[in-house]
Amino acid sequence: MSEIRLQIPAHADYIDIVRVCLYGLASKLRFSYEAIEDMKVAVSEACNNAVLHGAQPDGTISIVFASDETSLTVRISNEGPPFVYSDAINEASPIHAKEVGDLRVGGLGLYLMQALMDEVDVIAIDHGTEVVLTKYLDAPS
Amino acid sequence: MRVEPFQIEQQETTNAYLLSLSGELDLSVVPQLRAVLEPVVHQTDRELILNLKDLTYIDSTGIGIIVSVLKIRDGLKAPFSVQNIPPSIKRLFDLTGISAYLTEGTENKA
Repeated sequence: MSEIRLQIPAHADYIDIVRVCLYGLASKLRFSYEAIEDMKVAVSEACNNAVLHGAQPDGTISIVFASDETSLTVRISNEGPPFVYSDAINEASPIHAKEVGDLRVGGLGLYLMQALMDEVDVIAIDHGTEVVLTKYLDAPS
Repeated sequence: MRVEPFQIEQQETTNAYLLSLSGELDLSVVPQLRAVLEPVVHQTDRELILNLKDLTYIDSTGIGIIVSVLKIRDGLKAPFSVQNIPPSIKRLFDLTGISAYLTEGTENKA
């Protein structure tokens, strides 16, 4: 398992850099175009959560890409108040309502991570939160 | 992979406000899109159309903006449609369930 580490300021302006790194690494590992697009969204959602709910304004977000011949695991972590994922994970679902006016606007990020990755784990770490996302190379899309 | 900067092109015709989005719509450009939508989303005299032809990426915050536009337009009984949804973005609209509520317009409607 080899690891590549990236650290960005906890600000939305830097999340595209994470996508560029992910794209380069996942292409090199020969993930399909669709799998790479899925991972780009899932990893960005984890970074969004870190920016919006966790990290301090002058804090940083750490991204670790760990790969072997069969999988790519991306760990996104930030310092800050823990995000209570145990509650959120039960509410993660597509939007659905009888009337358009009743549609909820937020809460899709965690659902998308679950829908787009093979494994999603959220761990409380020392003074922060870590999201662990894994995609397998030969998984059916 | 090239990072295409997010851009909004506005066109006003006799019966529609057409906003063409291009590049990557993510958390960082949410304020920019909100600022452009704000003056037109409550205008009921014309159809509001989002053209997504050159949009290369969208995340849940971008999808959230489209849901909020849907709700406002529905509340005003004002027409709103989305056109030229690229396949990778359509997949996310389907996954999140927003597709069921979107009206897909055709190019000549603008």
